Amino acid sequence: MSDTLDPQVKRVLDGEADIAALPPALRAEAEAAFRVLAAVDCTPVSFSGTFDARVMAAVRARAARHGLWRRAAAWLVAPREVRVVVRPWMAGALAAAAVLAVLVARPTPETTATRVATTGIDSVAVRFVLRAPAAHAVAVAGTFNQWDATATPLVPSEGGLWTATLVLPRGEHQYAFVVDGADWLPDPAAPAVDDGFGRRNSVLTVTPGRAL
Amino acid sequence: MRHTDDADRNGPGDGAVVRAVLAGEVDQFGVLVRRYRDRYARYATHLLGSVELAEDAVQDAFVRAYERLDQCRDPDNFAGWFFLILRNRCFAERRRLARQVPVLEDIGASLPASGSTDAAVERAELRSAVQQALLALTAEQREVFVLRHVEQLSYDEIAARTGETVGALKMRMHRGYDRLRTLLREHWR
Repeated sequence: MSDTLDPQVKRVLDGEADIAALPPALRAEAEAAFRVLAAVDCTPVSFSGTFDARVMAAVRARAARHGLWRRAAAWLVAPREVRVVVRPWMAGALAAAAVLAVLVARPTPETTATRVATTGIDSVAVRFVLRAPAAHAVAVAGTFNQWDATATPLVPSEGGLWTATLVLPRGEHQYAFVVDGADWLPDPAAPAVDDGFGRRNSVLTVTPGRAL
Repeated sequence: MRHTDDADRNGPGDGAVVRAVLAGEVDQFGVLVRRYRDRYARYATHLLGSVELAEDAVQDAFVRAYERLDQCRDPDNFAGWFFLILRNRCFAERRRLARQVPVLEDIGASLPASGSTDAAVERAELRSAVQQALLALTAEQREVFVLRHVEQLSYDEIAARTGETVGALKMRMHRGYDRLRTLLREHWR
């Protein structure tokens, strides 16, 4: 008995060839293999009766926690009036801090999703631009439209540019461009994160002062 | 009391349910739990070799799906997206178990009662041996075996679910056949 199964028998097990077409010796091997396959337990599996309740209890706990975080985040970013009185002895320290801040500051990468207007305290108009001269249709899908690939089409303009302007709430949004309804492309000029399944989502952070 | 899958399938589509949950109707997520838990219970049980481990994995997968629901690009295909989450969770659990004591829990076979016929004893022995041999396959070989021979999916359907190519799936399956044949040498006749 060799260590490997004959390829013809494997094709029969895969359902791609008929066992009757095999020579007698291989047919016996295939019949033995089918006896083994027939012994595989295929009965349905049911979980305990409390499964649904446990899942939903965990989901509700996370929903409540997320609600608290949202309220805490809203409190943290809410605009407040801050008054600072600079004493003469602080001037030297502030000057040193300012020099340090200039040295460590990094330029923001150029992106195709840019703030075009502040529409209110909690929302900002953001323009999405993609250069895709060969495309017939482009849309942007993301967390702001439930990843609906048809909800936000971009409008073509000269030079193969496609644009759309959306009013987005403050916070972090993930998105991707959808070209010709099928190809999902991350924004080539924006930071991206792995979505956990081998694809990349672009990340857009909207603040009252600037987007990205 | 559990609702039946049929009752849930007659309800709103997955896309509508996902959008309702995202809009704040958290309890609507229970519709998706009832709709898909049984469908994936057997897959996870075979992959992990234990109903208890599978139950934990499916529960974790549902909770993770809820936490990342706003990243579900195609709410109408929630089932396919959820399968990938569960698959990642099962593979991670297999890797964790591989560093510990091998899992050899018998998930379906039971010993024949005294007084059983020789044929019944032989069937029970074969069933137990096959179950243990499946646990000795790699996680990737085992997954394609379960999807092909337990869930009865075609290679094209498996490829669509997993994102793997049909060629890669067949190669895994064929190596799995060879491994099973070696492990079950006594029964392969």
